[in-house]
Amino acid sequence: MTRDMIDWTMQARVEAFLYEYAASLDEERFDDWITLFDAAGCTYEVLSRENRDLGLPAPIMGCYSYGMVCDRVAMLVKGVLTYRHNHLLRQVGNVRVRGDAGNAGAELSVRAGLVVYQSDEEGVSSLYMVARYEAQLTDIGGSFLIRRMAVAVDSFGIDTMLAVPL
Amino acid sequence: MKQAIDPAWPRDDFSRVPYAVFTDAEIYRLENQRIFRGPVWNYLCHDIELPKTGDFVTTWVGDTHVIVARNGAGLVHAFENSCAHRGAKLTSAVRGNAAHLTCPYHLWTYTLEGDLQGVTFQRGVGGKGGMPACFEKKDHGLNKLRVAIYGGLVFGTFSDHAPPLEEFLGPHSLSQIDRLLVQRKPKVLGYLRQRIPGNWKLYNENVRDPYHGSLLHQFQVSFGLQQPTMRGGIKLDADLKNTWNHSIITEQDAASQKIVAEAYAGTGKFNPDLKMADPALTRVPLDLGDNYKTTILSMFPTLIVAQVDNTYAIRHLRPKGPDLVELHITYLGFESDTPEQTRDKLLTVNFIGPAGYISLEDGEALRLVQQGIRHRRPGGHEVLEMGGVGPIVDTDYLSQEISIRGFWSFYHQIMGLPAAGRAEATP
Ligand code: FES
Ligand SMILES: [Fe+2]
Repeated sequence: MTRDMIDWTMQARVEAFLYEYAASLDEERFDDWITLFDAAGCTYEVLSRENRDLGLPAPIMGCYSYGMVCDRVAMLVKGVLTYRHNHLLRQVGNVRVRGDAGNAGAELSVRAGLVVYQSDEEGVSSLYMVARYEAQLTDIGGSFLIRRMAVAVDSFGIDTMLAVPL
Repeated sequence: MKQAIDPAWPRDDFSRVPYAVFTDAEIYRLENQRIFRGPVWNYLCHDIELPKTGDFVTTWVGDTHVIVARNGAGLVHAFENSCAHRGAKLTSAVRGNAAHLTCPYHLWTYTLEGDLQGVTFQRGVGGKGGMPACFEKKDHGLNKLRVAIYGGLVFGTFSDHAPPLEEFLGPHSLSQIDRLLVQRKPKVLGYLRQRIPGNWKLYNENVRDPYHGSLLHQFQVSFGLQQPTMRGGIKLDADLKNTWNHSIITEQDAASQKIVAEAYAGTGKFNPDLKMADPALTRVPLDLGDNYKTTILSMFPTLIVAQVDNTYAIRHLRPKGPDLVELHITYLGFESDTPEQTRDKLLTVNFIGPAGYISLEDGEALRLVQQGIRHRRPGGHEVLEMGGVGPIVDTDYLSQEISIRGFWSFYHQIMGLPAAGRAEATP
């Protein structure tokens, strides 16, 4: 896509959507995060670059229905999982949008870069994750719904564990 | 140089383990020498990862980086990933295919057996220079490992004194490898990697410790996958160093939930009313059809073959110093799987690995132990008394730490550590 083809309004709307996506996870507003997905059908996957490059299908995390996406965060909220409670900061950049602009129901294909920093209870921060978002969004006018979200992870040698979705 | 430390082992039933073995740099150095380069068989890879001539993978044996390759005769060879000339790393690839291996520095070439094949300018240029006449290529191969394969699992040893592989693994290990990895031909569905900030032996303890299963992993209890009251047991293998632990599905004990509720009273951790929005994950049938809910086969020093529900995986420990271990998981399906069975395995992978509902906590547990023992007064010991002290024996129950003591008894012996004190006689 060349620069002069960019629909700047759409670009700004998608960026705002991804920022809300990231902030809802950073701030542990998991109920808000869920509302960004299409309850009528959606998938959420975290994929390792290694497997992708080899054409191997197993994800690190794989949710193939809206219910499974809800369950992933319900386990955190209800304390089913014991995990390191770090403060996470997601930085989203290099957002690129493809698809029909503007008309309701349009499908958009979105890519973005992601880095996640982790900070512990004693104020020590480090880089946790380097990844890319690959999303299919439906334009519902005003906002979007996620039909498919794949987070392709370069740092697939996961530091300790991956409990909170990316 | 730092003095070799002699951590005290006060009891010869290994119900006390000195914390120093998890943190001391000298112990770690000795482990590389006496275990990983000693008379043991180290897991390298699975045979199916090398389908064609020239296929290679790189892996780790302790701190040593190793290339495993299949040659033209179909045989698997293994050697260090370090040039015989001046030591350069030959390949940075995790896997690939090559007719021979070429060192990037001065372009010496090696065969797929690890022998030196070509030396650039060996005869010099224009009659000048070159290697001396006495230089023999056959004396300058890569450092090799002896290779042996059982049930598709490829092992290597640096030692001439390792016992035969099948003896080293033991009869329970062999029969469970047959059950899990041989009766159906496996295929790789993916790799999962986790870098856990804990000592590699803490993971060996973790997989020999069914005691924690239903306590740390709340998911299992909340959704009935594993109950502390579930039937099962442990069998020790091959000098007590290897453990086969398993749990079996039986008619759900009616009293089970009550026992669980009592055990968890006051912990705030028991949620009998929890429901999943989409429980498909917990409903995938066990396609082996033999009622084993879990089979954890822990083989000294760094291999675990595990069936957890309907997941099948090879877990390999790659130590990165005393305080860090990479857990490398090869997640398996089978050639005979239907598309539906493959879909199921892409669902049940959510149980295991760094994001696994019943495994992600193990990384956290190791981190917490490593932190805890790094930051306490020196000289302490672990207490391993669950299931009883004294003789190290098989059990037909799961809440035990006896198999962990089996690991330590072999570790203590192979490391040549100072004799342990007498355990007090116990009734
Ligand atoms: S270091 Fe490998 S050829 Fe010189
Ligand atoms: Fe565990």
